[in-house]
Amino acid sequence: MSARPNDVSVPFDVARVRRDFPLLARTVHDKPLVYFDNANTSQKPEAVISAVDRFYRETNANVSRAVHTLGEEATAAYEATRDKLARFINANSRDEIVFTSGTTQAINLVAYSYLLPRLQPGDEIVVTTMEHHANIVPWQILGDRAGASLKVAPITENGELIVERFVDLLTPRVKLACVTHVSNVLGTINPVAELARAARRRGIPLLVDGSQAMPHMPVDVRALGCDFYALTGHKMFGPTGTGALWARKELLRDMPPFFGGGEMIREVRFEGTTYADPPHRFEAGTPNVAGFVGLGAAIDYMESVGRERIVAWEHELLDHATAAMKSVPGLRIVGEAKNKAAVISFLVDGAHAHDLATLLDYEGIAVRSGHHCAHPLMQFYGVPATVRASLSMYNTHEEIDRFVEAIGRVRKLLA
Amino acid sequence: MNPMDTPALYREAVLDHYRNPRNRGELADHTHAADGVNPLCGDSLRIELSCARGRITSMRFSGEACAIATATASMLSEVVRGLEVAKVETLHAPFEQILSGELDAHRSLGSLNALAELHRYPARRKCAELAWATLRAALAGTARVTTETP
Repeated sequence: MSARPNDVSVPFDVARVRRDFPLLARTVHDKPLVYFDNANTSQKPEAVISAVDRFYRETNANVSRAVHTLGEEATAAYEATRDKLARFINANSRDEIVFTSGTTQAINLVAYSYLLPRLQPGDEIVVTTMEHHANIVPWQILGDRAGASLKVAPITENGELIVERFVDLLTPRVKLACVTHVSNVLGTINPVAELARAARRRGIPLLVDGSQAMPHMPVDVRALGCDFYALTGHKMFGPTGTGALWARKELLRDMPPFFGGGEMIREVRFEGTTYADPPHRFEAGTPNVAGFVGLGAAIDYMESVGRERIVAWEHELLDHATAAMKSVPGLRIVGEAKNKAAVISFLVDGAHAHDLATLLDYEGIAVRSGHHCAHPLMQFYGVPATVRASLSMYNTHEEIDRFVEAIGRVRKLLA
Repeated sequence: MNPMDTPALYREAVLDHYRNPRNRGELADHTHAADGVNPLCGDSLRIELSCARGRITSMRFSGEACAIATATASMLSEVVRGLEVAKVETLHAPFEQILSGELDAHRSLGSLNALAELHRYPARRKCAELAWATLRAALAGTARVTTETP
């Protein structure tokens, strides 16, 4: 949208960004939509919608198989997204990008293909209190199978990871450490580079769940120094059913396949099969080709807006929302890390999370209520559920004002 | 929020039961009791009953839950007072029909008919089912129940 996408001194033209997202023009209960459920999934710009539409109208074919023109074009479009994503996260090589259906599949790929063959009874896997179930449950399943256990690095009441406690857990028994880049509930941005340095010194690979970081900030996997980075497309303005695992080439090279089928083989004989090299070794079956073409368009779109400018705009929104919400009597924000993204969980005295969400929806405001797939974090705070407002680059100061006014009205209604 | 802006689910008849719940508390001499949990949101209710000669003479409830679950428990406590125990089961089907929108009202459901709007909010249906599930568990002699129990 801007000729100088990363010049943060140029005012952010949010009206122009909003015009790129057709869904934002709709109403809910006869009121203009305020979409504050971006940590759940983001809306899609016209560029993504039309890329998917155009693919099915003009190019549709399976990838890496057919020699005809459509097959060549479809393969080129699909593989072009791999190049874009590799550049977007500063991977060493396109071969380090394995396409998956999302973060969950990416994490499970590491679980079954990397960790399971290495895991011995008595081994440990380190996670943190603020992980999403997708970065807890796969490790529990593996632990049960192999006799390994989960060690949990605690957080402060503010919602910040206690780094020394995380590092203390990195003993020789640990075969993998896992951390979310940005908490989907608290918005906390974890010091991944610092954690990666500590893990590296001890020879322990670090997996990062990047689901919530990708839409909000520049991500540079080499600068972070981690070993695995899992991400999803639908939260970063791309289609659902797209995602990726980035992993260091030397780790992928030694990993056996997780799914078997077409596309991941070099030669199949009943006496034995040889597998393709990474990343295709891990991409059995026909992928979501149109979806990945759309993901490529989403990356182009984010680059045209400029990630540094997204960071600056969302920071402004976060400061505004935090201050305005704190002015509501009885409202408590859950998660006040110094370094956080525009994700705000909160509770209101005397107003249940689900009642708040239903009543806000009636005002056209979409927020999420519940446990946000983070039961252990809810247990830490001793609450069954919170309401979460998660903002995106297309949200505005006016929407925050409407949201905060609506909370005030709902509070009075339920009082 | 002015009344014009309130969704019909939160009509005054429902909110009144939330703000001023009837029969909230415990029954020291209860004959039946159960704890119910909605694992989807963590809400929990405890229902205690006094039954004599095949009738529910009193129901009290306690616990932390949303407006819909609390109001349902409050209304239910009115509806079942003096009701034959055997009659409770016959009211469950019409109540479910009200929640699903198949029925607008049922004469034996009294104040519970105020929940007729709930069929527009399928995601909130379990909120109303929590009190019923807990009541039925208490009568069946089941100490704990969840809204996810088949």
